[in-house]
Amino acid sequence: MENDLYSDRALDLLKGIYPSTGHAHVVGITGPPGVGKSTLIGSIVPLLMEEGKKVAVIAIDASSPFSKGSILGNRIRMQESLTKHSVYMRSLSTRGLNGGLSFSALGTVKILDAAGYDTIILETVGAGQSDLDIMRLAGTVTVILAPGLGDEIQAIKAGLMEIAHIFAVNKSDRDGAFQAIKDVQDILMTSMQGDWKIPVVGTSTVTGEGLRELVAQMERHASFVPSVKDRGSVLKNELSLIVESELMKMFYRSMENDRGVTDIVGEVSDGSMDPFTGSRRIISAISEKINSSATTLP
Amino acid sequence: MADGKNQSLFKDKPVKVLLAKPGIDGHDRGMFVLARAFRDAGMDVLYAGLLPTPEEVVDTAVNEDVDVIALSLLNGAHMVVFKKVADLMKKRGITDIAVVGGGTIPDSDKPKLEKIGVSGNYGPGTRLSIIIDHVRERAAEARKKKMGSE
Repeated sequence: MENDLYSDRALDLLKGIYPSTGHAHVVGITGPPGVGKSTLIGSIVPLLMEEGKKVAVIAIDASSPFSKGSILGNRIRMQESLTKHSVYMRSLSTRGLNGGLSFSALGTVKILDAAGYDTIILETVGAGQSDLDIMRLAGTVTVILAPGLGDEIQAIKAGLMEIAHIFAVNKSDRDGAFQAIKDVQDILMTSMQGDWKIPVVGTSTVTGEGLRELVAQMERHASFVPSVKDRGSVLKNELSLIVESELMKMFYRSMENDRGVTDIVGEVSDGSMDPFTGSRRIISAISEKINSSATTLP
Repeated sequence: MADGKNQSLFKDKPVKVLLAKPGIDGHDRGMFVLARAFRDAGMDVLYAGLLPTPEEVVDTAVNEDVDVIALSLLNGAHMVVFKKVADLMKKRGITDIAVVGGGTIPDSDKPKLEKIGVSGNYGPGTRLSIIIDHVRERAAEARKKKMGSE
């Protein structure tokens, strides 16, 4: 599934299992690097298992923009918990700028959902648009922060505030935790909230403080009946992710194989065509291809 | 361009490698050097952390669908522990993940390790490019088996 962006087989498979999906509670965990997301996941997994839930973890790590390689380090932080409770965990890398990560994540979530997992935890490093896209796959988005982030909270709120359902201030055993919790509460107080009032939980993986409350809040949100409109927007988001990755797939394929498109790329890179004209031409070349292949579809 | 049936898929999927030191051996500086080198060679790298059991290593490799397990030991227990990993793989019928080894391994042990499927077995001072090439080679073999079984 992962990396199967270029394969139609993956789409067929997902189409086949789609009717069996929709039961799992997908919990997104995101936040700046170093706040303890992976460790926190390691600590809440046992609590979820205690309640008889089948839990899986998908963790996404950034890959090097130069070599496209990555060190998938999240696993180490939760290995002990994974082994003890035989939890399935899969690491994905962001694969540079090639896009499609949201699609791999979507596919992996769907497969685990169909496989009967009750709770799927999806971890990303909270930076950039693609992370926000991935978080839209989650029914419950939890943003993890830590004391001492200071003005970063301001920066984060621009992107993450709108999609968070729960805030956790991790490392709450440290100095400044109370202030950090209060900062988040202050920001929340002045922002628009719907029927769901966003809770702020202080957690510590050292003392175990707040972990049960965090899990309880996640479950409370899961049973918080989503309106028909919400359900619609989830499905719409899935659709746009799939369409986006399909278009991306076509584009990258054409960049490599399509004579018409590679000619345009050549002209733009040697400076004889401006990139705006170039992109228009490429888009029309690709749409022509779509039109001609559409007639062959069943 | 003879590898695999789906060329673009094969080409675009980076080699995924799991680094592990099963057994009682905490000397992981070499692992960090390798992790960095593999990453810079464009691979997805997982490190199993300190003191994993052979069972954990095999479980992780399966769950993460890696191409290569790279084992290292500097404590002389390689004949026992590498074999344990190879045996577990065999018992579970895993043929599409390659196992390579490294560490302080006497030359006389190398053929025995090769025999149970643990190749490479490079010692200290080996050039990184040699190790990377070997991992790539074994990954290509494993990948071919993965594609074949689908």
